[in-house]
Amino acid sequence: MYKDPFLTASNSIKNHYIEDWQKDNKKIVGHYCTYIPEELLYAANLLPFRIRATGHEDTDLGDIYMVRFTCSFVRATLDMALRGFYDFLDGLFICNSCDHSRRMFELFDLKVFKREGFNKKVPRFYIAIPHIVTKEGFEWYKREIEELKEEIEKNYNNKKITDEDLLNSINIYNKNRSLLREIHKLRIQDAPKITGTEALQISMANSSVPKDIANQELERILNLLKEIEGLKTDAKRVMLVGSEVDDINFTKLIENSGANIVSDFLCFGIRNFLDDVKLEDGKNPLEMISRRHYYRISCPRMMDDHQRRLDFIKDEIKRAKIDGVILQRINNCDLAGCDNMLFSHELKDLEIPVLNIDREFFQADTTRLQTRIEAFIEMIS
Amino acid sequence: MAKRVELENRIIPYKMLYEAVKSTSGLIEGILPDKGIPSLRIGLKHLKSVMEEYIQKAREGLPIIGHHFSFPTEYLSCFDCVPVCIEAVSYLLAALLPHGSEKYYDLITNWGHPFHTCTSQKGTMGMTLDDLFKFDAIITPTAPCDNTYASYPFFSYHKKIPLIAPDLPFLKEEKSYHYHGEQIKLGLEALGKVINQEPDYSKLREAIELENQVTKLQLEIFELKKVKPCPVENMFNAMSAAAAIYLSGRTEKASFYNDMLEISKKRYKNKEHHAGEEKIRSIWPYMIIFFDLELGEWLDRHLGMSILFDIFNYNFAEPINTKSDLDTMLYGMARRSMEAPMVKQSAEFYYSFIDECVQLAKDYSADCFIFTSHIGCKQFGSVPQILREALRDEVGIPMLLIDVDVGDARFASEKIIRDKIKMFSQTLM
Repeated sequence: MYKDPFLTASNSIKNHYIEDWQKDNKKIVGHYCTYIPEELLYAANLLPFRIRATGHEDTDLGDIYMVRFTCSFVRATLDMALRGFYDFLDGLFICNSCDHSRRMFELFDLKVFKREGFNKKVPRFYIAIPHIVTKEGFEWYKREIEELKEEIEKNYNNKKITDEDLLNSINIYNKNRSLLREIHKLRIQDAPKITGTEALQISMANSSVPKDIANQELERILNLLKEIEGLKTDAKRVMLVGSEVDDINFTKLIENSGANIVSDFLCFGIRNFLDDVKLEDGKNPLEMISRRHYYRISCPRMMDDHQRRLDFIKDEIKRAKIDGVILQRINNCDLAGCDNMLFSHELKDLEIPVLNIDREFFQADTTRLQTRIEAFIEMIS
Repeated sequence: MAKRVELENRIIPYKMLYEAVKSTSGLIEGILPDKGIPSLRIGLKHLKSVMEEYIQKAREGLPIIGHHFSFPTEYLSCFDCVPVCIEAVSYLLAALLPHGSEKYYDLITNWGHPFHTCTSQKGTMGMTLDDLFKFDAIITPTAPCDNTYASYPFFSYHKKIPLIAPDLPFLKEEKSYHYHGEQIKLGLEALGKVINQEPDYSKLREAIELENQVTKLQLEIFELKKVKPCPVENMFNAMSAAAAIYLSGRTEKASFYNDMLEISKKRYKNKEHHAGEEKIRSIWPYMIIFFDLELGEWLDRHLGMSILFDIFNYNFAEPINTKSDLDTMLYGMARRSMEAPMVKQSAEFYYSFIDECVQLAKDYSADCFIFTSHIGCKQFGSVPQILREALRDEVGIPMLLIDVDVGDARFASEKIIRDKIKMFSQTLM
């Protein structure tokens, strides 16, 4: 699977699908977070691209503008942007996901888009998302998305985004999530049809290509997977939880240590496709998009929703027959770090083996990590 | 008697703090000359009496309400309660006792809390883990940083303490003030239900009116700092930060600033500097070092360096309209909350922070900036270099950046910090 042409789109930032999209003079916009409603962007004929730093191991330029207590993933993306990797973007969508990524609004403005030799005008958009899940919070978020729609219309050709555009986009995205869920079912079965690394590649590739093309590719992969035999292995079944992961070297490190990541709770993982935009007769499609994004299973930025996250993990442990949970955080990620702290105690109370590790975004300190992971796998045995 | 002790023991660290304040105050009264460091003397005197009163209230069984420093203490005046600021306990202990809160940082870190989180919360989390605090409820806005959203769930999910979190949105716009005002109201009502009290908005109104008066005094002192030499001693910054929380909504706070204003005016008239000669005028756009209370005095006396102000001493909100209806007052409260130190800078893009710093540098004739990059504060992690460039290009002054944990000397010790500032000051002379 590793060399499947679709999966290889996950190995780099740009890919031929993007180039094809640009040939038609269509726009590509970047964002950092799954709280950005991609359905709305896609309805405006924009290609949403989830910003990654896959394979990038340098943060030298990023380090000039971000102190060492910040997240090495975000620093690496800034580094890439300062080196021109993200010059193909025609727009940037930022929200207050975390303290590290939200400041990219200013840094892209002051340092990336104003650097010497870069002359393109790139519109930036900001969405303020509440930090709690309440009906008042939903009203706030809904208004933010309504305003965002107007801003998009103003900035890109003054073309109105119609309900029909939104419904088409919702259907494409719902289908996309449904296909990913089907693939996930094949991942969690007793003899998994794909590894955690392959699942991550699928997810990353999926975030980097137009969704109608992704849907064709996912259908092809799904049919392929249905035909093949599952992995008959003694590897321990683990669930990976915590900070952003967009580097298969990290998942490979775990899977080469005697484990198979059969499920996860990651934003480049299943958290992104668990639920759909529900379409109800007579309901405004934009509101339904907002509803799905606001009420879906949250990330640790939502401070009052830890219990729901824990319940999900507990259910998934049963559903995917998990032997142990690996909690990981990128250093300086306070959100995942503190959520993991609570998970680690709560899961231990349920006698579920837990490993809680910290790491850098890029592969550093791998021997220490591998030793800890191997010891954990052995302990499960 | 046993019952009284039990009730009082719900706030053991607060009592420890009270003892530290009392003994430090006693030492100062006994050792320092009459005119020595007045802000410390006056500030501690008021802290002692207010803390005494709250400990008595704890003995009487009033509910213990933990709150975030960005939920102004005076907003809790509508309840009969003992307010305890989560962050201020950790840092005032760190300021007054050697290795003050370190034991509690370690307790919670050993429990699994990430090392890179904010010690201001870690201290009280460790104390609560050890059951030294028994909060009846905790209230915090969803601001100003990841540490707040990340750390506070420990209280509710692990210690099962009711946690109320009025949402504070990003970006200061009209709709934000209305939304946050409503959130404050809902938050106070929810808190009232937890402690079986109705919010008494007339008491809240009185406390806010007092705070409005205090702001006027603060602004007068702030204005006086423009003159050379600065007529306000460095220690004032630390004591003012403590007063902002511990004396909030009380007459003692007005008294503290009133006394300091009179002293500063007298110095201004006499062109007098607290420690002899002012050689360098520095602005600390972020925090001072809490574990090294003496640093300000050392800078005054050994380097002649004034700290004109730190983040807790240059953010002033508009007075709140208390004469109209409740919604108007809540609107004003929301504005004040969103202008609070650190929240103000975190609830908007940092362009205005940079502009404000440049303007302050000019208005206050600053020779330099010293930026303490605190390990917990990721929301400021991408600011220092941009600020340094702006100060260099627009004012022509340098900025020293120090990586620290402002509440834990083990990260960067007093000596390291002082050495850095000393070397930096030599480049300025």
